[in-house]
Amino acid sequence: MPKRKKKIIVIGGGLTGLSLAMKICERNAEVVIVSYQSLKRSHSVCAQGGINAAIDARNEGDSPENHFYDTIKGGDFLAHQPLVRDMCYQAPAIIHLMDRLGVAFNRTGEGHLEFRRFGGTLYSRTAFAGATTGQQLVYALDEQVRRFQHDGAVKTLEWHEYLGAVLDSQGVCRGAVLQDLRTNTLFTLAGDAVVLATGGPGQVYVRSTNSTVNTGAAATMAYLQGAKYGNGEFIQIHPTAIPGPDKLRLMSESARGEGGRLWVPRTVGDARPPKSIPDSGRNYFLEEKFPLFGNLVPRDVASREIHDIVYNQKLGIAGEPMVYLDLTHKSKDYLEDRLGGIIDIYKKFTGEDPKDVPMKIFPAVHYSMGGLWTDYETDGNGMIEHGSPRNQATSIPGLYAGGEADYQYHGANRLGANSLLSCIYTGLMMCRGIFTYIDNQDKSVDDTPSTTFDDAKNHWESRLNEIKAMKGGENPYQLHRDLGDIMMGNVLIVRENKKLEKTIREIEDIKTRFKDVNCVDSTDWANPTPSFINQLYCMIELSRVIAKGALMRDEFRGAHYKPEFDLKQPSKFDPHEYIDYLEKKNYGDVSEDAFPEGHLEYMKRFEANNDNWLKSTIAEYKNNKPEISYEPVDTSIVTPRPRKYD
Amino acid sequence: MNKKIVKLKIKRRDKPDAKAYWQEFTIPYKERLNVIACLQDIQRNPTTQSGESVNPVTWDCNCLEEVCGSCTMLVNGKVRQACTALIDSLEQPVILEPMSKFPVVRDLQVDRSRMFENLKKVKAWVDIDGTHDIGEGPLMSDKVRAQRYALSECMSCGCCLEACPQFSLTNNFMGAATFSQVRLFNLHPSGSMLKEERLEAVMGEGGITDCGNAQVCVEVCPKSIPLTESIADIGRQTTLQTLKNIFMK
Amino acid sequence: MDQRTRDQIHYLILKTHSLTGLIPVGAFLVLHFSINSLRTVGVWPYQISIDIINNLPFLMWIEVGFIIIPILFHSLVGFYIYFSGKPNPFRYNYPHNWMYTLQRISGAIIFVFLVYHLATTVVPKIWYGNIQFAAAPYLIDIMNQEFKTWDGRIIYAVGIIAATFHFSSGLWGFCVSWGLLIGRRAQRNAGYVFALFGLVLAIMGLATVLEFSLHPVGVEATQPG
Repeated sequence: MPKRKKKIIVIGGGLTGLSLAMKICERNAEVVIVSYQSLKRSHSVCAQGGINAAIDARNEGDSPENHFYDTIKGGDFLAHQPLVRDMCYQAPAIIHLMDRLGVAFNRTGEGHLEFRRFGGTLYSRTAFAGATTGQQLVYALDEQVRRFQHDGAVKTLEWHEYLGAVLDSQGVCRGAVLQDLRTNTLFTLAGDAVVLATGGPGQVYVRSTNSTVNTGAAATMAYLQGAKYGNGEFIQIHPTAIPGPDKLRLMSESARGEGGRLWVPRTVGDARPPKSIPDSGRNYFLEEKFPLFGNLVPRDVASREIHDIVYNQKLGIAGEPMVYLDLTHKSKDYLEDRLGGIIDIYKKFTGEDPKDVPMKIFPAVHYSMGGLWTDYETDGNGMIEHGSPRNQATSIPGLYAGGEADYQYHGANRLGANSLLSCIYTGLMMCRGIFTYIDNQDKSVDDTPSTTFDDAKNHWESRLNEIKAMKGGENPYQLHRDLGDIMMGNVLIVRENKKLEKTIREIEDIKTRFKDVNCVDSTDWANPTPSFINQLYCMIELSRVIAKGALMRDEFRGAHYKPEFDLKQPSKFDPHEYIDYLEKKNYGDVSEDAFPEGHLEYMKRFEANNDNWLKSTIAEYKNNKPEISYEPVDTSIVTPRPRKYD
Repeated sequence: MNKKIVKLKIKRRDKPDAKAYWQEFTIPYKERLNVIACLQDIQRNPTTQSGESVNPVTWDCNCLEEVCGSCTMLVNGKVRQACTALIDSLEQPVILEPMSKFPVVRDLQVDRSRMFENLKKVKAWVDIDGTHDIGEGPLMSDKVRAQRYALSECMSCGCCLEACPQFSLTNNFMGAATFSQVRLFNLHPSGSMLKEERLEAVMGEGGITDCGNAQVCVEVCPKSIPLTESIADIGRQTTLQTLKNIFMK
Repeated sequence: MDQRTRDQIHYLILKTHSLTGLIPVGAFLVLHFSINSLRTVGVWPYQISIDIINNLPFLMWIEVGFIIIPILFHSLVGFYIYFSGKPNPFRYNYPHNWMYTLQRISGAIIFVFLVYHLATTVVPKIWYGNIQFAAAPYLIDIMNQEFKTWDGRIIYAVGIIAATFHFSSGLWGFCVSWGLLIGRRAQRNAGYVFALFGLVLAIMGLATVLEFSLHPVGVEATQPG
């Protein structure tokens, strides 16, 4: 244990990185925040709708326990339950903290926090600041970090890129290799622990709701250095985004939380303007199929339904892959106040005002439930032991991960407004554990020979020089596009093994083509190209993890939908029957007539499927390729059961 | 119809102290193109109109939906975000230049750290006791919340400063964005505890008195933040503070 | 000097600049225009008021302390402001940006005009020692000469328009920068009021020029009592 102040390197300036940095400063340790760009500009600002916390401000009977159950069910029981439960119990305190930091959360008449509804729950549980909640949360945390910066407690390295961890001979992470993106010089930074708060990998798909920095490269680098990567195949497709040539812009779930309705014309090819189609000519497909949750079914469900209505039923608007998201029945003032941010975005990019005409939207890649495998320790009572050094630790000692970069809070599908929560929660929660980890070290980074750092730096220097010297025929940016097209084609909402096999072959082609890349810019000042080529390399490796995980997981769970393995839930099925069934099974054989026809068979199929597949996918980089294994999921609190939203 | 194209004329600079030069590019037209998509196209085929192979143009961007503030540049002479600059509504050739009031890093990239330094000067934060759970935040009417929210949408993009005739590369004027943040935090019940310090910070060189009331800031603000109201309000707050300093201390 | 002191001085100087534009310089402008415009009502009212002014005790101190020094101060700081900004109304073509630009240009025009105005009126007055009672006929004589030619008429018309614009637009700016007008609507509506005020002032000034040009009349010196 070092006698000096602890020094922690935080990679990433989004919600997780900032909240962790704030916590570290408060505990009087040194922190260096490394960010690809200015802190205020991280991808967290794109989150729109809100952040969940079961404060039950409307006296609906909500509780953290309900929040926990909704989250677990929304994630199709693939998330580790104590973690989720702890997060949900911390949520109210997190909202209050953010409120104290000055976040302009919408208010009630009495001046308390206002909440709205979101997908996958029947409660009003989502605190929000207009329709730019993520932005507001980032700013509040950024301000706190700036405050500590003013006091000299934080060092920020903006316009710096994380290239890899510095591992000592025991494989312990002792620092990071960084590149100054202005001078293009490399250097190493020693730290007692390194935290990857580097967000998701949406750029693997090129066109998604993600920002351009979301390459997932930092997490992939850790994977390539030996860290385990979990649940890579679980990629959330958000049901509502504006199609565009450079980006698919998110239209928040809060649009539906505030009453927005999804519909398509009832008849194929009805080309009338939407306002002139009467209610009888409209197919409110979610409301019809899911009377209970209606438009607020979880995202995986909504995206599948849109996919089905557009591609199988051919009911997309004017035959195009689009459906209406309709807010026009709400008053303009209400919409401006509650959803101003997204209404502006829609107007600016399409020229149409959603207050007057229904928006045209389509699903888009949005979030990765998977990420770096991270550990945790329970307190034995279904909660997390906050001081444990295992919390949020990757499989590389000293290297931690949090936020979208980790894998364990959202299972097979994330509920809306839970991502902001999990990002801030992990950031705040992991601090104590990291301190314990540093305290428990026999040897500190001060004992690490300088050659370890030199070697790491030299490795990356030669790697980047190698890249700069690449003078083949492939434009890296074009190659990236092609990779995105491949992933977009077959690793999206509906997944089929044959197509996935083809995808994997195509990714190998991309990998071969990568060797022939042309480094189109080899200057040495603020040159983004070598960096990008390295990120592209990571994206290719990550796409292999995602595609292979998807191919191997022969089931339908959450966002991972393989029609072949759909267990075909009977329409009148009640999930509680399954609990009954398990109960009855405890007492011996269950007779056929104890349940409605077909239900028992379904439940047996369900049980067998869970035995096979209720496991986390773990990818490890071995022999230059991803090797997949599976780990059990902690389901110690609620029994996994079939999901149902109608 | 002929194969449509988009013409771009881009002001480039290899290094901060290097000489700027212009290059022209043509790219195939597509529907719903924005400036960023054009720049991405140039990345994929970095060849000028005259067929010369060049280094791809560099620029800053991130969210591509006008909430991160990164991609601010001059598009046809006016400052704005490149992501919301749709080709269909622009005159061609589309002329792209880096912002002129911030030091250029390379091509269309500039260094806006001055904005963030100013936020430090005015203590643009709420001075909380700690992040531990001490219960709810202060009560606040939704009206005040709405007022604060409008100000809090500032993404430090720099449009207001670029267009401001009083703001220059070399002076120390803080500009509308900073004053608006002073107002934002002075409006918060606990944030207002630092009110005097914030006001003192803008009552000096480069402070509120250096505003020339040209009100261009509010015209170019992509988030329609009521910047001129903020400036006037900070004018009032500093005036009252002056009176207090002179007559009540 | 430490930064804090410099900041305070900077703030005070600019605030004072803003204030002097209103009091006393602006107030004097209104008074000056009002009294001169009496010429349009008749020669005698005009002369009487001038005589009253010229009979004020400590007149020189009043003129130096409340007119000359504030104007000099306002102009000097004004030039500092003039050179600290870089107008861009062609690039950012918005009404207020034009007002901003014109405010600076009109300030410069007024300064040049004032040099001329003082050089042709007050300076000879002092030079020839006609400080006291003979001032009125003497000055009026100068004015009559001035307005005989188009050169003089145009110089004065430009000076008057520049001054009234600068004052009324500056008054609006004063109200905004001191925080009297905050809301957008308040700023806009007050803008109309100040524009009207400026227009009235300009008409008063121009009418005076017209009257001098059309009816040059000499006046006799009067004695107090």
